[in-house]
Amino acid sequence: MVIEMLFRRIETVELRDVTKRYGDFTAVDHVNLEIIGGELLILIGPSGSGKTTLLRTINRLIEPDEGEVFINGRNIKEFDVVKLRRSIGYVIQQIGLFPHMTVKDNIGLLLKLEGWSEEEIDKRVKELLHLVALPEDFVTRYPHQLSGGQQQRVGLARALALNPPLLLMDEPFGALDPILRKQLQEEFLRIKEVLGRTIVFVTHDIEEAFKLGDRIAIMRDGRLVQVGYPDELVLNPADEFVAKLVNVDKKFKHLDTLKVKDLMVDVEKYIVEVQRKDELLQWMRDKNIEFAVIVEKGALKGVTDLKSLLKSQDLEEALMEPLVFSPGDSLASALAEMKRRNAFLGVVVEREKPVGILLANEVLLKLL
Amino acid sequence: MVGVERVLGAFGEHLVLTYASLFLSIAVGIPLAILSLKSKRLASFIMGFANLVQAIPSFAVVAIVVPLLGIGFTPAVFAIFLRALLPIVKNTYVGLSEVDEAMIDAARGIGLTEWEIIRYVRFPHAYPAMFAGIKFAAVLANSIAILTAIIGSGGLGSLVFEGLASFNTDKILAGSIPAILMAVFIDISFSYLEKRVTPEGIGGG
Repeated sequence: MVIEMLFRRIETVELRDVTKRYGDFTAVDHVNLEIIGGELLILIGPSGSGKTTLLRTINRLIEPDEGEVFINGRNIKEFDVVKLRRSIGYVIQQIGLFPHMTVKDNIGLLLKLEGWSEEEIDKRVKELLHLVALPEDFVTRYPHQLSGGQQQRVGLARALALNPPLLLMDEPFGALDPILRKQLQEEFLRIKEVLGRTIVFVTHDIEEAFKLGDRIAIMRDGRLVQVGYPDELVLNPADEFVAKLVNVDKKFKHLDTLKVKDLMVDVEKYIVEVQRKDELLQWMRDKNIEFAVIVEKGALKGVTDLKSLLKSQDLEEALMEPLVFSPGDSLASALAEMKRRNAFLGVVVEREKPVGILLANEVLLKLL
Repeated sequence: MVGVERVLGAFGEHLVLTYASLFLSIAVGIPLAILSLKSKRLASFIMGFANLVQAIPSFAVVAIVVPLLGIGFTPAVFAIFLRALLPIVKNTYVGLSEVDEAMIDAARGIGLTEWEIIRYVRFPHAYPAMFAGIKFAAVLANSIAILTAIIGSGGLGSLVFEGLASFNTDKILAGSIPAILMAVFIDISFSYLEKRVTPEGIGGG
């Protein structure tokens, strides 16, 4: 059975000038934020920073006092609010499960309300249990018979029941103990890959943010302080607050001992010997990569990325001279150099031949 | 001695009187409780009215019905209905409104309509309180159904009052013992029903 979703896929979720006040207190203060379809965007900040309030404006659990929210360019006020919410999965801390319903009834409630038959619901519930790695015979259990981690999985399964293209997750792992949380994060990453949908994820845990997020939006006192990819936040924190939050010093205290070769990635996937622009474009598209390292007779000629390639007349014009490091260089100074030159990658060369690439964000992810 | 037929007849009347008024109270009380959820003002009005009726002695309620509706079976049902209404409305309302807000929020967040929230989330949680209210109302109805014999409702009360008037102990017992048995039956049957319908996973269920 196919459910009618308001949108099949998310192009953008756009928050424009969203403001929410409670009396004198401004919970969310003129926030502008664009969430790109397919990404997992983290909303992070201390408690009271407005992250949950902001999240809840997306499914209209909170109506902003000012500003508007657009999904795929359409103001969400145009939609029927129940339909909107059924098109958006919503996961919160474990309290969200209905204690008087079995696992099956919890997961299948929306399916039932959408008029699915008993067999269809059975089938879908089992599929979902499988996805979240719970045994099928859990269907007859009640939430209080499950552990915290299992409840959270059921919560996720319920949110996914109608296959919504957008998921809102409000500190879903917040109530779990650290070991269980790590484990669920790992699994969630796997599920996220399988699902490939747009997710807005609220947390106050920076480790979790770096681990799960594609992009991270940092909030403080109702304002959006900085939005960016993890490496941007670490390399160019907007202010002291962000620097402290991402905790650069502590994270990189072991950086001095590392060499470039420890954290470079294999160049094989990106290296190519071509003459023509269209040839290269085709090759990059086939391999689904964003940039390429061009060699001539094995020696480094230059690097290019899709954007500059598309803008230029020919290959020569698109080629850029990359930062070059040798495997034995200190990682810290290499990163500093990259930051200074505002480069996201460096090529590691040994005897004139590229042997690896240093990707700023990859390095950071490995270090965190 | 009192004839068995007389006792059975009175018991039958009493049964009809008690249950007819009780069902009327349920049929009116539960929708009123749901309506009360919609607006705080309506809630305080309904609760205020029901509380007032509750504060009036049962005997006075029975008496005051007479100038309004006269005597007989229907006025008696109305008097019992008035008295049985409060425990049902109040308990149902309290049960419905005291569901954990976080859970209501989650239900709303995943896309339940307000009615679906009442039906699938609030009601299952309200069952224990609601049934406690209905049970109390049933016991109350049973006892007022004795009183209403005074305004001509018939039932076991007529035996009791006749017995009292003529110092006939047999008659008094013939009227009051079945009423006591019925009270016990009501208590047991409603407790059983409550257990049956309260879903697992809800406190005390």
